[in-house]
Amino acid sequence: MLSYGFAQRALVGGAILAAVCSLVSFFVVARRLAFVGMGISHAAFGGVAIGLAGGVNPYLAAGGFCSLVAVGIGWMSRKGRVHEDTAIGILFASAMALGVVLVRLTGVYNIDLMSYLFGSILALRWDDIWIMGAVSALTMVFIVLFFKELLFVSFDQETATASGLPVRFVEYTFLVTLSLTIVVSIKLVGIILVSALLVVPSAAGWQLFRNYRWVILASETVGLSSVLIGLYLSHRFDVASGATIVLVLFGFFLVSALISPRREYMRRLLNAFSR
Amino acid sequence: MRECRVREFFSDGEDRSRKVIEVHDLWVYRDGHPVLEEISFDLEEGTFLGIIGPNGAGKSTLLRTILGLIPFSRGTIKVLGMSPRELKRELHHIGYMPQQVLFDPRFPVSVYDVVMMGRACCIGPLRFPRRRDREAVLDSIEAVGLKGLEKRPIGELSGGQQKRAFLARALCLETSILLLDEPTAGLDLDSQVDFMDLLVRLKEGKGLTVVFVSHDVNVLARFADELVCINRTMHLHGPPREVLGSERLKEVYRCEFDFLAGTGAERRPS
Repeated sequence: MLSYGFAQRALVGGAILAAVCSLVSFFVVARRLAFVGMGISHAAFGGVAIGLAGGVNPYLAAGGFCSLVAVGIGWMSRKGRVHEDTAIGILFASAMALGVVLVRLTGVYNIDLMSYLFGSILALRWDDIWIMGAVSALTMVFIVLFFKELLFVSFDQETATASGLPVRFVEYTFLVTLSLTIVVSIKLVGIILVSALLVVPSAAGWQLFRNYRWVILASETVGLSSVLIGLYLSHRFDVASGATIVLVLFGFFLVSALISPRREYMRRLLNAFSR
Repeated sequence: MRECRVREFFSDGEDRSRKVIEVHDLWVYRDGHPVLEEISFDLEEGTFLGIIGPNGAGKSTLLRTILGLIPFSRGTIKVLGMSPRELKRELHHIGYMPQQVLFDPRFPVSVYDVVMMGRACCIGPLRFPRRRDREAVLDSIEAVGLKGLEKRPIGELSGGQQKRAFLARALCLETSILLLDEPTAGLDLDSQVDFMDLLVRLKEGKGLTVVFVSHDVNVLARFADELVCINRTMHLHGPPREVLGSERLKEVYRCEFDFLAGTGAERRPS
């Protein structure tokens, strides 16, 4: 399989995205941004349509558009006039609707919309991988440099603000990096499934460990193995790569929930047998 | 370099007692309605000030305004000789414990990690904890009596221990002022007494100035040097005996304080 160019690109791209998404997913779970992630990724559809209609690179357009939507969600909920989930509900449906209308009006049917919705990792080019790498590097650098601030804000925003940390800067920058990560991940798993990459790795990690260092390590392990196993299975059985990856992720989550020390399923099971 | 404003403040005039917090004619509005009116008081270094008042009296708002988290419409606030705007860069001299730390008990951090969060603003942006930060964190954990529990997940501690961890977090800065918002709420009587004893010991040991908000008059009657009683506006300010003996207090709370008839030594759980 590795002798094919497309397979090499898929593996390299997949590994990069798995690494960055798994790291981001720690804060997505910690800050309960799963729904925000979903909102942003669906808004990407609007961005892609704007790009297609305006003759701009659809991913570039989606990146800008999603960042705007993310900052919009953050701003609306920070002002406190609208609840965060309400803000997401408003913005994500509107952005998708805008996408549908634009696609219809400009008549760009010949473009494979399904590839944006469900991913098309086998169509990756090396250019795409360079972009993925650059965005992922930026995101990781941001998270590493501002890790202590992000951790404090995620744990207890009130005290973080009171101790003089640049909370607003950290919050908005995180939302923008989250948007960019989502947009570059669309090629891998598509708009509809991208939120799984941003939630499941760390959700599995939280099941297993009670210290963030281990949670992040577990999250990286789960993310990377899921992407690699998913790609292999999708190639082997000729099914969509994005969907396969998400199913493998889900499998990892199930296993981690089963063996989670928090739940003690395994101990109860062993007890039941030994009785 | 960052501490120069504060050092200047403390080195200016050795003998006279310094006012670490000065609030003058403070008015705070929220949605067009005044929530605080005409609040004025001074606080000398090393004082334990209790702020009392019924629920919804604006006690937390007052603390948060002093910290610069809420804008005010009229009056002046000076903390360590600085206006709230100047204070924004020097917030690491103030330890703050909010009323309720709303955190996810499953959040994967240890006691050590939580206290280290408090150092974040001392460490500064784009920097990583160094040896003296780690030492400060461990000292602070020891000071609140949580030594040996550093590695425990924060969600596994008891309520009283969690409060101590948050106190340690407030202390591990170059703290000279502690602002505590109902730190003993939700604790049982024994834990309340332990917490207060700890606080008084720390205050004496480190020469801290403490501002302690509570609706529980009994706790403060026993430990505070001065009491301020507010209910939107300021009603009383003075030593506990004076404040608690006043007829005004009953008016503010609109209820009888029979159990305060003595010295306030009786303590009841809130």
